[in-house]
Amino acid sequence: MKQTLRFDQISCRLQVEGLPDVSAGQGSDAIGIVTGWNLQWAGRPELEGKKEHLQALMQAVLPYARLLLSDAPRLQHSLDQSVQVTPAGPGVHRLTLRSSQPDTPALEVSLDDAELADLVRVLDQLRLEPRLQLQLELPAAQPLRGRQLQARIPKRQRLAAPVAALLVLGVSTAASLLLPAPKLVNVEATTSKPTPRR
Amino acid sequence: MASPTAAPLPRRGIERLDLMLLCAEALDLNGAEATLWLSEELGLTEVVSDRVELWKQRCHNPLRRHVRRGSLTPSETDALIQVLCSQSERLYPLLRALLSAQEPLDISQQRWALFEERLRELIRERLNPRRSGVQTLLDPVGGAPQRRQLIRTMALAAGQGGFERLKASLMDASS
Repeated sequence: MKQTLRFDQISCRLQVEGLPDVSAGQGSDAIGIVTGWNLQWAGRPELEGKKEHLQALMQAVLPYARLLLSDAPRLQHSLDQSVQVTPAGPGVHRLTLRSSQPDTPALEVSLDDAELADLVRVLDQLRLEPRLQLQLELPAAQPLRGRQLQARIPKRQRLAAPVAALLVLGVSTAASLLLPAPKLVNVEATTSKPTPRR
Repeated sequence: MASPTAAPLPRRGIERLDLMLLCAEALDLNGAEATLWLSEELGLTEVVSDRVELWKQRCHNPLRRHVRRGSLTPSETDALIQVLCSQSERLYPLLRALLSAQEPLDISQQRWALFEERLRELIRERLNPRRSGVQTLLDPVGGAPQRRQLIRTMALAAGQGGFERLKASLMDASS
């Protein structure tokens, strides 16, 4: 029997439909086979697709949210490149969805921080739903290395210290070159004979 | 990305964790009580037993007036992160309203002004004003991006699903 899971937030609603995988011994209220899903957004076109598309959406959005927590957002895309999220200005994020249908243009959706948080929440709710008994290929959240965090420091600020150091080195080298070289003194001519002791 | 370890939270991670708990208190006048109540709800009373224990753990934040040496144990860290995720879940409507660009500008500005005023009071009361990090947070203009980042982090870490994400971000290498 067909099962439906629904997750609501203020700006979006995610609905997943599917069937229990009886061959895997799943209960009658579980979803082991996703037959379809749709994501309704207030004032935006509705998205729908198969399990692969839903997984692609999660593969792009959840790691992007992880990077946002470290204030180091950068382009994230799904394994099949069909979904990507990228920063599009302060507090704005651009979600691009490429259809698997030929000759269908990509759909671009701009989300503010609140709408992105709503989307992350419905995806989290789905991911943690015990009735959804599916293996989703999602990367685990990991700490970032120092190099990955450099992007959040503006380039000018990052380069200020090394540029200043190079300038100081250059100026001090030039100043030392301007100093007159010490005169050569004939040591033999200037050395006086030692006076005998009385 | 670095591999996850059972290493203690770095200094910057403890700082951010405590600042977000402070933001929760600024958003909710009963935030401190709610933190204790939530730790009880989550069955964390062994780690966060009372107000004093919570205060002692939060005093590992290097920006505090009274800083404790050492670091939080992994169980203390996990407990505080769990409590923060639950707090964020509870406060999500407020967090969302602060972040939304769809809200009328004047209402949004009023909300931010109220939150920032409360946060400023809490910061002056509990953090060391001589630390440059505290001075930046108190700066009405210069500290705004950091305050927004704290609110955004809380919104994206709300609920059970946010725990791993938030923990990973608090374990980031210090930059």
